[in-house]
Amino acid sequence: MASVSEMYDVGWEEMRDKLRKWREENCRNSEQIVDVGEELISEHASKLGDDIWIIYEQVMIAALDCSRDDLALTCLQELEKQFSDSHRVKRLSGMRLEALERYDEANKDYDAILQDDPTNTAARKRKISILKAQGKSAEAIRELNEYLEMTHPQLYQSTYCFPCHFHSYGKAAFCLEELMMTNPHNHLYCEQYAEVKYTQGGLENLELSRKYFAQALRLNNRNMRALFGLYMSASHIAASPKVSAKVKKDNMKYAAWAATQINRAYKLAGRGTKENKCSMKAVEEMLESMQITMS
Amino acid sequence: MAEPELLLDSNIRLWVVLPIVFITFFVGVIRHYVSILLQSDKKLTLEQVSDSQVLIRSRILRENGKYIPKQSFLMRKFYFNNQEDGFFKKTKRKVVPPSPMTDPSMLTDMMKGNVTNVLPMILIGGWINWTFSGFVTTKVPFPLTLRFKPMLQQGIELLSLDASWVSSASWYFLNVFGLRSMYSLILGQDNGADQSRIMQEQMSGAAMAMPADTNKAFKAEWEALELTDHQWALESVEEDLMSRELDFDGMFSKELPSGIF
Repeated sequence: MASVSEMYDVGWEEMRDKLRKWREENCRNSEQIVDVGEELISEHASKLGDDIWIIYEQVMIAALDCSRDDLALTCLQELEKQFSDSHRVKRLSGMRLEALERYDEANKDYDAILQDDPTNTAARKRKISILKAQGKSAEAIRELNEYLEMTHPQLYQSTYCFPCHFHSYGKAAFCLEELMMTNPHNHLYCEQYAEVKYTQGGLENLELSRKYFAQALRLNNRNMRALFGLYMSASHIAASPKVSAKVKKDNMKYAAWAATQINRAYKLAGRGTKENKCSMKAVEEMLESMQITMS
Repeated sequence: MAEPELLLDSNIRLWVVLPIVFITFFVGVIRHYVSILLQSDKKLTLEQVSDSQVLIRSRILRENGKYIPKQSFLMRKFYFNNQEDGFFKKTKRKVVPPSPMTDPSMLTDMMKGNVTNVLPMILIGGWINWTFSGFVTTKVPFPLTLRFKPMLQQGIELLSLDASWVSSASWYFLNVFGLRSMYSLILGQDNGADQSRIMQEQMSGAAMAMPADTNKAFKAEWEALELTDHQWALESVEEDLMSRELDFDGMFSKELPSGIF
């Protein structure tokens, strides 16, 4: 199998810099990390100097993600040799046990860390993910609540998927609101919030969802999901019997605008292909079928 | 004013002015590293962490509350500020202002602070005064009144000398404060050699008394939150959005990023 450096014709410095870039951006491209990192460790370990420890950590976590237990074990052993008494390394060994599904032993590791240092957020996060993996969602939610009391609000990210799973959309909305406040310019949160509101239903929520779909579109013009969402929520409101005539008119205007944008997008996508005309017709039919009719 | 300009021996420049600069600078650098070595670990309690998190949450609510619906904003504001059981009203942390004598860790911190900063300054100031005494070192570029003479002309007993001519001790003190910006350039912000900053901290006094501040911080947040109003940023979002066509540039590009590099 060709090595990474041969395939892409790069030197070890570029590989190391690429790993650093991935580390800073928190990318989860574990297979790539394993490929690049494994070669870096095996061939160029001596040239890396002190960087090697953090690369070990990065590669180990990626290896656990790709089920490469052998590589993970090697990295862990090197780290344990160097930093024998470290909380950070202990957490890594706990993660390895988690990956092997030995949850009780992993829990013991994390509890030991927390006893030493109750404010260690990393260990708490891992405990919660163990509960999640074991399917004990109620306990996981409880632990999360405790954890959230002492942590950065950004952690709401992982928590909101829980309530969705259990149809407690109110809680999911709460979490998303927190996320929107901390990251006001992230269009994905706006869009997911709008979807949660749409699922909750009810006229007020539909209006809110329409507004947030529009906000998501304003933040990122290319968010197709938000565009469709806007169309759906606007037509839903327009079709509802309880609205006043003005609201109905406004919403039909919004829905029509959204429909034209969708058509434009599909035209752009299909340019240069012969089936353009047919696909445009398909889009129009789809839009019509999505119309919510009063039953 | 027909005061004849004094011409100083250029040896003074070589052997007094420059050495004092170097001495001050290197002593500062050494102080920085010594303070790093002597730094004690600060252990945070869980309560402190959660308190600071609550303050952060409230601040974010104030700043970005306009992005969430009015109902949610009011709900959160109510949680924090409610008359009976709002968080900021209800939570009174037990405040034990740590007096320097009783709290051992604070005592050692203060000792270390004194040793690393004040002591060297006194020692070196005195040594320079003793070594480089008896002659005029430099002239400050602005005129000074006679009251400054005893302060700035330590070893020189000349009644008729203009107060602008100063001795080496005052040049040393000038350096201590002047090299502050050099330290930030070389050692980065927040360095241990920055004496004037430390002196400022000691004067403000409350620098070490963080727990006492929690109650005050809560009160300040409560007031600030009371004042904030909800101006929904999404009032006219649809109109804004539909005022122009969507920009689909780059959505369907033929080229996909391939591979790792």
